[in-house]
Amino acid sequence: MIRLSPLLILAACGGATVPQDLPVETADTAVEDTSPPPRPSLELAREIPNEATEPGRFETTLVAEGTYDGDTPVRYQYSGDVIRAQVGNQLAAVLDNQLQSPTTIHWHGAGAPYEMDGVPWQRQPTAPGEQFTYTFPLEQSGTFWFHPHFDTARQVDLGLYGVLIVEGPDEPEVVNDLVLILDAPHESAVDPHHHGLEGQALVWMVNGSIDPIGTLDAGPTRLRILNASNTGYLDLDTTDMTVLALDQGIRTAPWSTDSVVLGPGDRAELLVDLQGSMDLTSRPFSLHGGSAWGDPQRLLTLTGSGPSETPMPTFDVDPASPTPDPGTTDITYTFQGDGGSGQWRINHETFPDVTIEEVALGDDVIVEIRNLSPTNHPFHGHGHAFEVLGVNGVPPARYTLEDTVDVPIHGVVRVRFEATKAGDWMQHCHILPHAEGGMMTVLRVVDPEVP
Amino acid sequence: MRPLLLPLLLAACQDAQVPDTPTDTDVERPVPLEGFELDVLVLLDGEPTEDVMVMQGGSLDHRRTDADGRARLHVDPGIPGDLAVVAAHPEARIRGVDITARVDEITIELVRFSTDDNPDYVFQDPGTPDRRDNTGYCAHCHIRQSDDWFAHPHSKAASNPVVHDLYAGIATTLNETGCDEAGGTWTTTRQPGGGTFETCVLGDGVLPDLNPDCGAPCDAPVNTADCADCHAPGIDGELGGRDLLEAEGIAFEHGVHCDVCHKVSDIDMDAPPGVGGRLKIIRPSEADDSPSFDWTPLTFGPLPDVLNPRMGSVHTPIFQQAEFCGGCHEHETAPMVPGATLDADRWPSGMLPLQSTFSEWKDGPLADIAPCQSCHMPPDAEAGNAADIDLLATLPGRAGGWLRPPGANRRHAWIGPRSDEADMLGMALTLDLQTEVVEGEVVATTTVRHTGPGHAVPTGEPMRMVLVQVQATCDGQPLIATAGPAVPDFGGALAWQDASGDWDVWPDAQPGDVIRVVADLGWLDYDGFGPFGDGTFSPEDKGLADLRHVGEATVLSVTDGIVSLSEPLPEGDMAFLGRDRGPEASPLAGAPGFAFARVLTDGSGALMVPSHKATDIRTDNRLLPQQSWSGTHSFESACEAPEVTARLLYRAYPWDLAAERGWHNPDRVMAEVTR
Repeated sequence: MIRLSPLLILAACGGATVPQDLPVETADTAVEDTSPPPRPSLELAREIPNEATEPGRFETTLVAEGTYDGDTPVRYQYSGDVIRAQVGNQLAAVLDNQLQSPTTIHWHGAGAPYEMDGVPWQRQPTAPGEQFTYTFPLEQSGTFWFHPHFDTARQVDLGLYGVLIVEGPDEPEVVNDLVLILDAPHESAVDPHHHGLEGQALVWMVNGSIDPIGTLDAGPTRLRILNASNTGYLDLDTTDMTVLALDQGIRTAPWSTDSVVLGPGDRAELLVDLQGSMDLTSRPFSLHGGSAWGDPQRLLTLTGSGPSETPMPTFDVDPASPTPDPGTTDITYTFQGDGGSGQWRINHETFPDVTIEEVALGDDVIVEIRNLSPTNHPFHGHGHAFEVLGVNGVPPARYTLEDTVDVPIHGVVRVRFEATKAGDWMQHCHILPHAEGGMMTVLRVVDPEVP
Repeated sequence: MRPLLLPLLLAACQDAQVPDTPTDTDVERPVPLEGFELDVLVLLDGEPTEDVMVMQGGSLDHRRTDADGRARLHVDPGIPGDLAVVAAHPEARIRGVDITARVDEITIELVRFSTDDNPDYVFQDPGTPDRRDNTGYCAHCHIRQSDDWFAHPHSKAASNPVVHDLYAGIATTLNETGCDEAGGTWTTTRQPGGGTFETCVLGDGVLPDLNPDCGAPCDAPVNTADCADCHAPGIDGELGGRDLLEAEGIAFEHGVHCDVCHKVSDIDMDAPPGVGGRLKIIRPSEADDSPSFDWTPLTFGPLPDVLNPRMGSVHTPIFQQAEFCGGCHEHETAPMVPGATLDADRWPSGMLPLQSTFSEWKDGPLADIAPCQSCHMPPDAEAGNAADIDLLATLPGRAGGWLRPPGANRRHAWIGPRSDEADMLGMALTLDLQTEVVEGEVVATTTVRHTGPGHAVPTGEPMRMVLVQVQATCDGQPLIATAGPAVPDFGGALAWQDASGDWDVWPDAQPGDVIRVVADLGWLDYDGFGPFGDGTFSPEDKGLADLRHVGEATVLSVTDGIVSLSEPLPEGDMAFLGRDRGPEASPLAGAPGFAFARVLTDGSGALMVPSHKATDIRTDNRLLPQQSWSGTHSFESACEAPEVTARLLYRAYPWDLAAERGWHNPDRVMAEVTR
């Protein structure tokens, strides 16, 4: 927040005429000095046990439950925060809907087949009191998440989501593997008309607490960070920030950076050498135009305690080069809309009244996403992770495989993927009020051998 | 947070013209520490008034007064800056009351402003990035917005040489020799911005064409086509119908500037465009007894809580509505040239829609969903306030305005097709190209789709054109197209002949020129804007010939107007003479491709004429939102891996008009695909 010293102002102005009603003291000087309340402790995400009795499987029952004030839900949650499975596992998760509302589970970024994608596009959601079993193989390591894709803005805002970690055979050795779920709650209630909050400041929570502090064993620490907010962007910063992975697991050697922007639904993995204390902060970043005025917000403080004997991991990753952009385009999505109307479009169309673009199974597909609207949009493609070919004509510095990518105002993002899974795949903005305001469409991958 | 810059701070304070800012109550500190509920009574000219917007300054929330003029408001001391409650009504300047202690009720008294437009008022100087050292300039406080505006064509609307060339029938880029060569007259005439200068009188122009008795140069016009109403709206004095050459000083240098736009109180879409018509301007007429102002300030804008009396702000939502842009970017007119008439069967209203950007949007899929400002005035997340209070020596609140959420302030850059900072042209249309080789021919299918803005592409000034160009090569050598759509005649030609002509004779030809032959298959049907798409016009009425490229040859030499060609010309219905003009737009009629434009014609049948000469719209095949066009071309293939390139080109001015006046007029590549 901007806070100018009146003494500085007056001194600087010398004898200049000053409007007579300019305050001569700020409200701060009138506020009784009170000590800040103690900061909460960082809560660790609740890991969901594997109930499988045979190897190669991860089985669990995810009870979706809520607490209510009368008939009004106060909080939704699953019976745990984190599924930690292995590449090659067959996931079998029973959704037990104990809510008063229908719901589904969408496995965001995890490569579920269409029938397990959890979207009510051509099938009904799981009714209250009913169960549905989601089962599919986990083929890609990385940090994914799962959340409803029905009544999404409200249910996700109430807390109904979790993190899916899929570990590969060669995970780096770290002392701490920490899941940080960042969310700005109560967004849906104040934005019932899909305006996207019109830039209201958000209060970020980390694993359910505001500005917590956590003490961990000192040493190499992997931070798996999820932006579970409906609308809020993060522009992460910390000391000696090293990125280990983005949406789709470790793809190249870690790289240093001073900024990681996470839109709603986006993830990043950071690698830090936790010695002493470090803050994770977010610089002001607005969906209404990106980098914004204001002061950074501290998200949490971590302290490493005790001796550290584990060295920072080294990586022997064969870095794939970014694919050169061929310049051709198979599908174009142009984002339109406005917060003032709360109506959002892709190619002038409102979901579900959309043109279903088709590609064939096996096709190499180039998608160009254009943003003509006055807000950023985190584009999320279901079904297939995609390589980012370029943003505004600039190719990425390294091979980047994503399932959610920010499209800035007036920006053009080009991505490619190989169509390996048949189905009707949702393509949408992951600002949930925008999606519910119409900014969704469907990409059909057709298997020519299936009539 | 941007660091406080001492030099700027000092600069801001050097000006002693900041008026005293009156308050409605004495300010006492401290302010309340806790939030509380407050009853607000609003009087307008002494009477309790319903539907007045009431809010705490800097809040995102507001209430409206009930029939008794009352509203209940939650006061939040946590909002940074001055704590004040404000009331906004479209007929009164915003007023506010400081909150210094917990109270149960306050009264805000609003006073209606005079709605008389005052021709004696002098429009305020907007200032520039180099001229902002006192509050006499808008740029003094509104730094970011001023910088945006200054770099944008709105600020050059009155001084743009192209506008003046078309207005006065001159060619300002030509020197005396060039003028002679072009057939113009080198003479002394009125200079845009004031005074006189020597320039080239050449070609069509509003003044010579609409004032035939005025002479050339025309120094005392009767008919000005009302160009200045939008191009130089800030000419002091009576508004409307002014001569563009009356624009001097600020009105000339700064075109569409701050104090003009923010004197717009309302829009009347039924009136002619511009000031004096559609833009309902109110310049303040209440004499002010302060030393700083002749007239009590009056400024219209989108914010309901601007209390600085330097602004005299009035809240009006029109600044966030498309109608505001429609104040100028929508233009219907009767024929302007004396004696010219319209075909009453085609245009029964007697009016030609020369510009229809607003109507195109209003009829399109984004109508009332995303107004013009949504795309063209994107949010500025780095601006905490319209007045850049973090750079100025003031706190948030009454004097400098409250802090706004990131993005609440809009850019004043009007990002458009020629903005460098965003590829609006590239985002307007999609271009797809599919190719296959069939029996020694390359078959290329080009598809153009409009998935972008809410209006037609191209839109605005009807001289604009979008061209599709399809070319093929084998091992770098161009292939000759044997079939496929051709660029229509309005794509430009040095000369053309129908089948009755002697295609060996081209007096205007030069070696290197291309003669393109097309077959005419009749009239194309399409769904265009207005009568071109609502069923009124038949395909013939829509005036777009279905021209098919059948072949072409290069001119090797010219002797006495007789050309020798690289190969015999095929049979066809028409032949167009084209020329590669390098970086400048070239005549492309007949080339493999297509084009989209609103084609104005005059009584002589000339195409792409300037607006003031129009007596008909022969064709309007511009792409409307969600429309697409597709064409298939065949090329002789002489290799195994032929390469086809499709381009979308944006042409700002007809090639021949630009060539005549010496304007730099490159075709801009909107999209290009090679397969």
